Amino acid sequence: MGTMLSLQEVTKIYPGAEHIKAVDSLSFDLEEGEICTMVGPSGCGKTTAMKMVNRLIPITSGKILIDGQNISRLDTIELRRSIGYVIQNIGLFPNMTIGENIATIPKLKGWDHDQIAEKVEGLLEIINLPPSEYIDRYPKELSGGQQQRIGVARAMAADPPIMLMDEPFGAIDPINREHLQDEFLKIQEKVNKTIVFVTHDIDEAIKMGDKICLLKDGKLVQFASPEELLTEPANEFVRDFVGGDRTLKRLNLLKVKAAMCPDPPVIMKDESPEKAKSMLNELKADHLIVVDNEKRLMGYVDQEALTKKADEVGDIMRSTDAFLPASSSLKDGLSEIFTHDVGYIIVVDEDKKVLGVLREDGIKEILRK
Amino acid sequence: MEPKVIFPLLKRIIPVAAIILIVIWLYQVYGALDYTIKNLPEFFRLVLEHFFLVIVSMATAGSVGVGLGIIMTRKGFDRFGSAIMVLVNIWQSIPSLGVIALAYGFLPLLGLSGIGVVPALIALFFHAVAPIVRNTYAGIQSVSKDVIEAATGMGMTPNQILFRIEIPNALPVIMGGIRTATAIIVGSAPLACLIGGGGLGFWIFTGIALMDMGILMAGAVPVALIAMFFDTLLARLERIVVSAGIQTEEYQAA
Repeated sequence: MGTMLSLQEVTKIYPGAEHIKAVDSLSFDLEEGEICTMVGPSGCGKTTAMKMVNRLIPITSGKILIDGQNISRLDTIELRRSIGYVIQNIGLFPNMTIGENIATIPKLKGWDHDQIAEKVEGLLEIINLPPSEYIDRYPKELSGGQQQRIGVARAMAADPPIMLMDEPFGAIDPINREHLQDEFLKIQEKVNKTIVFVTHDIDEAIKMGDKICLLKDGKLVQFASPEELLTEPANEFVRDFVGGDRTLKRLNLLKVKAAMCPDPPVIMKDESPEKAKSMLNELKADHLIVVDNEKRLMGYVDQEALTKKADEVGDIMRSTDAFLPASSSLKDGLSEIFTHDVGYIIVVDEDKKVLGVLREDGIKEILRK
Repeated sequence: MEPKVIFPLLKRIIPVAAIILIVIWLYQVYGALDYTIKNLPEFFRLVLEHFFLVIVSMATAGSVGVGLGIIMTRKGFDRFGSAIMVLVNIWQSIPSLGVIALAYGFLPLLGLSGIGVVPALIALFFHAVAPIVRNTYAGIQSVSKDVIEAATGMGMTPNQILFRIEIPNALPVIMGGIRTATAIIVGSAPLACLIGGGGLGFWIFTGIALMDMGILMAGAVPVALIAMFFDTLLARLERIVVSAGIQTEEYQAA
């Protein structure tokens, strides 16, 4: 994993506004596969900085390297074809079908017909629009959210290592936006692109970014991971921009896994109720989590349940839905704890194997850090 | 058949049937049919001349108009765009007869003949080129800036953007200009005979001069039919060349 994109002292001065540096000596490096969200108040230069990467806006001074190559030495058209580009208003070509839209750059690059068809279908699958249903339809027949997914697919069609996204979800309603963000992060796990993502929404920047580049008046204020930005804001401006609810934002960012307490009190379902009783007394616990021999969550038993007669705890256990996957956010975790009004939530993996439990004090402790 | 199928069919059949009935009636009532049959060779010659005038002036106006309209949207020329549009709009306000008269009066000043087919073609060309230039320019200008930005950012060259994005998306508007121009040319072509350009106008003006409705109708009715023929032809063409992605429902019904 090397540096994929490197901005070095990049400066932009627009002709006719010589006294203003729209972007002022901006430098940062992005590793391969990282998403960098560029955020800041309007007019901070975030879009200008992004558009210098594919030379839609010419650079005034400084340099931009892609995979070690100075972009000013590359052919503009070739450069742009190797960078995926997604804009807020999508800009699908209305005269072309969905399939033709996605195939645009592969076609210009001279891929053969079968290769293009395979790629287009593959991308439609990735963005959850069945190819047979969508490939021959026109943009006007699709909803805004669907169009934006096509926009993303089109940008990825020629397998560019880098993608530039200019407020890609800005024009989508909040509910769909969240859905598209989640979907995009899932796609990113598969495709591992290096992405510059411009947004004016700090929550989106925190959610989407591996790195956040916070700009003000063309200057870099802080370049850091979301966690660092929230816990160690560089100055008063960052603190204000991030907002007073920094701690709550971290809840969104942190995963349940980080705050859970491993090795919860568990008992196999074929153990005897006597064993369960003695375990409860020994551990001074209220419940025992009942698992099968694969450590999968089955239910729980408490003192009350154990008063019933049975050979195995599996027969008298109670079922529970107070559990959630380890990859959930702490915000969801906390919400579950409040919803079920229980002391803890059981944390499981994708196979429903018990990994640990999440308690309120675990969350408090990690937020205190 | 379901009413859903019948009504649109009726909507199309009724006007066509009405037009045919009116044509037959006009032909019969004034004896135009007799006159045409008696002068069949001349009739064919005039029809051919008429088609020649329309097709040649359409083809030249179409290619020059679309070309000029495109150039006006290109980088470096775009600053002249709005100035040329003002000229084009003023030019278009001159009536057909005025354009023919202008050709008749102006061409001799350039040392050319003001009489004959060529001056007629020149007049028709100049009259028809305006709406084509205007619509081509406006059509390309109206292609969404987002679409152009996306295309540019993806790495399409200006020519690729022109031919794959701008022209296809401007096509309904460009075709609208061509249809307007055709209507103007077909409508003005009968005037060509005033400066020796030939065509069915000859019978119309002869009819007027002799106050003979038969001769007049023998010229006027085919002119009207030719106008309808070209408009239908272009409407069909439009449905073929304009992408389904930008056709409105009106179009598909046309």
